[in-house]
Amino acid sequence: MVVRKQKICGDIHGQFHDLMELFRVGGDVPDTNYLFMGDFVDRGFYSLESFLLLLCLKVRYPDRMTLIRGNHESRQITTVYGFYDECLRKYGSANVWRYCCDIFDYLALGAIVLGASNTLSPGNDPTTLPAEEDTEIEVCNADGHVMSRFRRQGGRINLIRETQTISPKGAPSSSPPVNGTSSSPSGSAPPAVGAPTNTGPPGSGASGSSGGSVGNPAGAVLCVHGGLSPLIDMVDKIRLLDRKQEVPHEGAMCDLLWSDPDEIDGWGLSPRGAGFLFGADIVKVFNHKNDLSLIARAHQLVMEGFKEMFDASIVTVWSAPNYCYRCGNVAALLELSEDDSGLGIFARSNGDVNRSDGGMGQGAPPRGVLMESDLARKGGGPARRYRVFQAAPQDSRGMPAKKPVADYFL
Amino acid sequence: MSAPSIPNLLSLRGASRGGGDRGGRGRSRGRGFGGPGRGAASGSASASALGHDAAIQGTDTDAAVSRLSAVELGYLQDPFASLFVQQAAMPPTRRLPIINRGTYTRTTAIDKVVERFLSQTDAPGQERQIISLGAGTDTRSLRLFSSSSSFQRIIYHEIDFPAICDRKFRTVRGSPQLRSVLSDPVVITPPPVAGAAAVENNNNNNNISINSWHSIQSSTPSGTGTCHLYCHGLDLRTLAQDQDNNQADPNSAATTSSSITIPNLRTHDDNIPTLLISECCLCYLSPHEASASIQWFASRIPHLGIVLYEPIKPDDPFGKMMVSNLAARGISMPTLEAYKQPADQEARLRQAGFNQTRQMTVDTIWDRWVSDEEKERVDGLEGLDEVEEWKLLAGHYIVTWGWRGGGFDLLDT
Ligand SMILES: [Mn+2]
Repeated sequence: MVVRKQKICGDIHGQFHDLMELFRVGGDVPDTNYLFMGDFVDRGFYSLESFLLLLCLKVRYPDRMTLIRGNHESRQITTVYGFYDECLRKYGSANVWRYCCDIFDYLALGAIVLGASNTLSPGNDPTTLPAEEDTEIEVCNADGHVMSRFRRQGGRINLIRETQTISPKGAPSSSPPVNGTSSSPSGSAPPAVGAPTNTGPPGSGASGSSGGSVGNPAGAVLCVHGGLSPLIDMVDKIRLLDRKQEVPHEGAMCDLLWSDPDEIDGWGLSPRGAGFLFGADIVKVFNHKNDLSLIARAHQLVMEGFKEMFDASIVTVWSAPNYCYRCGNVAALLELSEDDSGLGIFARSNGDVNRSDGGMGQGAPPRGVLMESDLARKGGGPARRYRVFQAAPQDSRGMPAKKPVADYFL
Repeated sequence: MSAPSIPNLLSLRGASRGGGDRGGRGRSRGRGFGGPGRGAASGSASASALGHDAAIQGTDTDAAVSRLSAVELGYLQDPFASLFVQQAAMPPTRRLPIINRGTYTRTTAIDKVVERFLSQTDAPGQERQIISLGAGTDTRSLRLFSSSSSFQRIIYHEIDFPAICDRKFRTVRGSPQLRSVLSDPVVITPPPVAGAAAVENNNNNNNISINSWHSIQSSTPSGTGTCHLYCHGLDLRTLAQDQDNNQADPNSAATTSSSITIPNLRTHDDNIPTLLISECCLCYLSPHEASASIQWFASRIPHLGIVLYEPIKPDDPFGKMMVSNLAARGISMPTLEAYKQPADQEARLRQAGFNQTRQMTVDTIWDRWVSDEEKERVDGLEGLDEVEEWKLLAGHYIVTWGWRGGGFDLLDT
């Protein structure tokens, strides 16, 4: 699937107020396209509200919202980590939990963002100062102030501190996002799209050869909750999985939702007891083979909200600030810019209807056809912008918030 | 959730976006819940010392519930855990896997140090002594006294607030299951208070009476091998004050001028190997009180080992949130500010006269001390979903131990 401007978010874990903060920081739906990489539920006290809100937004704006499955979107895990208990407490029966779990089974296992040019456009807002030509990564705080920029330089990434303001772009994107695998509960047909490997945008040299990234800088971005699987060497194989089931204890589907990148060679056993650890060599080969510029994943707590690894071939995005009301971490969302051609490209993979087009888009392309866009890059900008945000202040909570009691060893 | 409390998402969003205060709020608010948390903390801290004591005593309930959770799920074997948790109609609280694993690791780590101490001092006719500070409803003594344990000749002292000591007395007396391990507990009449002059300094509190009780291991036939449990209702701050009074009087030898005598505590004359345990107890005292409490025992017992379990690292983001969250519950840990890093904990023991010191954070203990087989068993119970979070949480707790004098040594890391 492709969207020109895509905000990619990591774990939410039932922290509803912080999800509202995320939308405040990231921008309104449907003005902003969001891709959530799973783990909506468990741990926090508002799993149900969080998941239902995301689900409602998905139903109302199916082209603007993409939800993929995390390892916590599972019957077994939710009975241990809180979502089941929460539903039981709030409704007195397990029915709501059961229905939610049925929906979990329909969530996509991954998504492909095409047309993310690996360069952020400088933005249309006149107050926005164009980022430097060779800025690859830009980190902003919740109010849009640039906290730091990382520049490409001889393969090394250097930190540049700047203080100028970057405002969110006003112009809404219009391309309907479609998952590489279906995310629509009603769409049961397997995706009909060909592999992005063959149809992905040609290398346009968008970010130059000296970039910190490896792989095709104009290639697609694979979004998945956990990571790679030794059973999946091509993205297309994800589409072949029968995903409409409880997350199994092993196998490709399990790995995609459970694995973690690690500083090892090849594959390793995961301390989580499910999925695998995979090293830089695995990621680089996979990205090359699949014409990917980046793998975006969630699943691991990162104190700084995001963490790029392996020469920026993979990034962890974590969107639950002060996780479990205890960890003291900040959260982030990743903004993938549209390419500068302004042509959104997208693949349709299932029966999604372009309902939220609002007359702004170019209309849905024929189903099953992947369009190629002109990725010629005009201006320079950071390839990836991270918006870092903190937990919602308690006084702003618009609903009676249960006073969080975080457990410690006392 | 009842209908009126269901949020209106539109108004919620409106409120959080509301016009001009957006930027201001962004600037003014602290990290996470820091602001409100600290506010609540200072309020309750100044409210009353009694409130703080109650909060500290509440941590014992918290620990008992965590222990029961770990036991019910199979992490720990402890037939006594359920006896110390008020079981209402509600099913017992089930903690999250990360907490259960922490409870397991911390408990087995201290067990390991205790077992090392007991096996090192295991000689015919050799009595040994364990002193557990802030023992609360801890079941370690009971587990050691139960028939599944083969250790003998243990004199076990538990010290905690009088109210908690009293509650334990009634629990032991009223539980047939406990009575199979312990004899009917007997209240000890406190011996007359010595050193009246010192007592006068102590806020004219003329009579420091300790409500102690005593019980004998009943699972073995009484004789020289029998273990003894003594519970002492004693606020450790009183002990620290007593130590200060002694130090302030240069003419007094620590042994004789004390105003406090803990009944049946073996000191100089007996010279038996002793292990002092503080499992999240001394951290609630001021650094000075904590040191003076340790010194009270160290100045009386030559062959002494010590094992401490406490949180550390209050200054990183997790630590700051921990301090703030606990403060919101009315709990402060003054020693956390004094001994922030693992090295500080070891230095503290060296300063107290322990020439051998070791320390390990709980995450390292899990890595090094829990066998692969046991790891597999424990992880098979529930599974841990978040390893990063575990490292973060468990990395903020440390077990520090040290020893001095002959007769035994404790574990290496
Ligand atoms: Mn996860």
